[in-house]
Amino acid sequence: MKLVHKIIILTSIAFLLNGCVKKEILDDINLIEAIGFDYAGEGMTSGTILYPIYQPDQPPENKTLTAKALIKKSILQDIQLQSANPIVTGSMEAVLFAKELASKDGVLELIDAFQRDPGVGSGLYLAVVDGEARELMEGNYGVRGNATFISNLLENNIDNEDLPKTNLQKFLFSYYQEGQTPFMPQLKKISDEKIELNGICFFKHGKVVETINPDQMFFFRLLVDKYSNGLHRVQTKDGEAAIRSIRSTHNFDLSQHSPLEITVKIKVQGIVNEYTGNEVRPDQIKLLEKAFTEEIKEQSTKLVEIFKEKQIDPVGFGHFVKTRTRNYDLSKWLESDLQNLTVKVVPHVMITEAGVIE
Amino acid sequence: MKIPFKKKNTEKEALVKVLSKSNDYRHLHFTNEKTKVEFYLTFIASLTDEKIIHKEALPYLLHGELYHLDDVPELIPIAETEISTNAKDIENKLFNGNVLVQVVGNEEQLCFFSAQREVGRNIGIPEVEFSVIGPKEAFVESMKQNLNLVRKKIPVKELIIEELTIGKVSKTKVAIIYLEEITNQENVNTVRQRLQDIDIDGITDSSFIVQIISDNQNSPFPQILDTERPDRVTAGIIEGKVAIIVDGSPHALIGPTTLVELFSSFEDYFLNWIVSSFFRLIRLFAVTFSILVTPIYVATLSYHYELIPRDLLSALVASRRAIPFPPILEALFLELTIELLREAGARLPTKVGQTIGIVGGIVIGTASVEAGLTSNVLLIIIALAALASFTTPVYRMGNTIRLLRFPFLLFAELWGLVGIVLSFCIMLTHLIRLTSLGRPYLEPLYPPRGQDMKDALVRLSFKNQAKRPVFLRSKQPARLNERDAKQKQDIDE
Repeated sequence: MKLVHKIIILTSIAFLLNGCVKKEILDDINLIEAIGFDYAGEGMTSGTILYPIYQPDQPPENKTLTAKALIKKSILQDIQLQSANPIVTGSMEAVLFAKELASKDGVLELIDAFQRDPGVGSGLYLAVVDGEARELMEGNYGVRGNATFISNLLENNIDNEDLPKTNLQKFLFSYYQEGQTPFMPQLKKISDEKIELNGICFFKHGKVVETINPDQMFFFRLLVDKYSNGLHRVQTKDGEAAIRSIRSTHNFDLSQHSPLEITVKIKVQGIVNEYTGNEVRPDQIKLLEKAFTEEIKEQSTKLVEIFKEKQIDPVGFGHFVKTRTRNYDLSKWLESDLQNLTVKVVPHVMITEAGVIE
Repeated sequence: MKIPFKKKNTEKEALVKVLSKSNDYRHLHFTNEKTKVEFYLTFIASLTDEKIIHKEALPYLLHGELYHLDDVPELIPIAETEISTNAKDIENKLFNGNVLVQVVGNEEQLCFFSAQREVGRNIGIPEVEFSVIGPKEAFVESMKQNLNLVRKKIPVKELIIEELTIGKVSKTKVAIIYLEEITNQENVNTVRQRLQDIDIDGITDSSFIVQIISDNQNSPFPQILDTERPDRVTAGIIEGKVAIIVDGSPHALIGPTTLVELFSSFEDYFLNWIVSSFFRLIRLFAVTFSILVTPIYVATLSYHYELIPRDLLSALVASRRAIPFPPILEALFLELTIELLREAGARLPTKVGQTIGIVGGIVIGTASVEAGLTSNVLLIIIALAALASFTTPVYRMGNTIRLLRFPFLLFAELWGLVGIVLSFCIMLTHLIRLTSLGRPYLEPLYPPRGQDMKDALVRLSFKNQAKRPVFLRSKQPARLNERDAKQKQDIDE
């Protein structure tokens, strides 16, 4: 074949196949940045999408569209009826579920759609809203748009504070993992310009069964994340100290088989950020370390008790036991075996620095 | 006018008949004062230096003891003289600036002496491949001077200069230069054979030869390096390459060459190896950037909005809000503007023209952003891409880069990133198949030659340059004793 023929054939193929790819020009689509689901009664779900209108030299304008549907997957189609441009999910930052919906109907059916959409990244943040998701999305937070605000809020708390690492991938992992149940952070709208991270919700079979408050988050994170950081206040007889954990590790050990006993060794290295007493002397540091150790032990054991009571396992004790035991049957884990499990928490706290004034 | 050749030689007569039509043909009659021998001088006035004839030939011929034609070479103080009886030489010699002497009565015997007029500019500084450090001389149009520049730098007997004449009408002199003990004879033979096979009426520049003897004439990539720097040619010859110098062209050719060599500037060898390696990497990055950035812009904006980082999204969308065109038209509009400006800049008389062109581009770009025809993000991207493409040190390669952007852009519009990958594959396939004088063009990247990586994407220090490039298959692979080069002599030893 002559070169000219090759070129002609290649060019014509190029132009003929052009129609095979769907074109989505950036400024002719509505980029959903967040989606929120609310309980609308009688098995109906109402969905709200949040899309920004970008303007030069100004913060993006937050626009929302809402539709109700019985079949959850058709919500986007229903919203499409109100939109001038095609709605695309590719740059989604966060999915929010109203707590009412998450407790009554569950979130699994809704999450399923995102799990299948190749345009949705696995780093998508999932969160429960204490209140109505729609109301939260209609606020005006930050200069970069609401969705960016929400995802930055969660990201910042994961990177620097007490929130354990969470996203779509983590949620699905712990959902599909035998011997583990998922969790989500919980957000609350305080005012039109403020949102607060006010706890963690635990799921069982896709429904919220328990919520812990922000104070307990620090201890939950010590249990669930291999490496964590965060700040916690410790009370001693001389005063109160804020201790920032700069580095902490945990280690699980299956110390006994029957009855099952797991020893969790938690190592925390921290610095004293703030202290209401006078100077921090070595003996005071010892006291602080001891107080902190005891608090970790007490709170973690309390958390495990809550998990047992609600028959959930967000830490993944079941999964851990299975990895250490041949042919372990996890089918009755939550109902019976978890209840008989003893979890021994052995914290070890080291305060490495107490500030320059000595 | 008298006919100089009274013998019935039709060839001579025809020649004279044609020559006498030209105004610069001279046929003069003289008589020697002492011996009364009559003789003729025949020459082409526009090719000969009349001063030489007047001062160095005529006084001796008129006042010296001229009895016979054989006396002429002894009489005149000019080295290049020749006595011949072959009438066929006449045309060739006359047009090389020789003067023909004939003694009346013995017109069969011919004596030529050279009185060539040297017209041409002086050796100047390199303008296309300017370097801050290093020699500041560049080739000129005269082959004699160019050969002098090269020969001066390699004063060894092994430096062979072969001369050929190409072009039925232009009779251009072409020199093949190589080092006998070093250059692979196969390379020399390839060059010689290709040059001999050239069948063309006229060659006015070395670029003609580049295009004619290239392995693949349908490729946009230059397969022979052309340079105006004598130092680069010298270095190439010493490395084991073959150089071609064409009379009348200030650009010499070096082959075989590789793609990476076309991205290296000769200044790389003047700077410290760390600095020059950094510059080389920057240049490679600039070229990739220049080719790919606009297609990627078009592809992501048309197909892959998911890839755009969250923080960039608002800047991109806000800048494109009022633009009525799809990204491809926007990009083509700006790319064409830049190309127009470059082309206009190249046609302007001085180098200043180019600078004005670029400034004009920015002005036009800003105006088109204000008019809402293009987005300012794209304007920045295109301006950067244009700037990056100027970093290619070889002019021919720069033009190729300019051209390559457009197929990439087209494919990006048709299939998005898949299209870019596809066009990249097509380009790579083409590059892998390409050869330069029969040697692989993509070496040392493909076929991978680790040893040649010392002077490819980076340039290592001279002590690591102990071997000649493998692909040249030099007769003497070692340039220097590697062990001695690496060993540092202690001053006390």
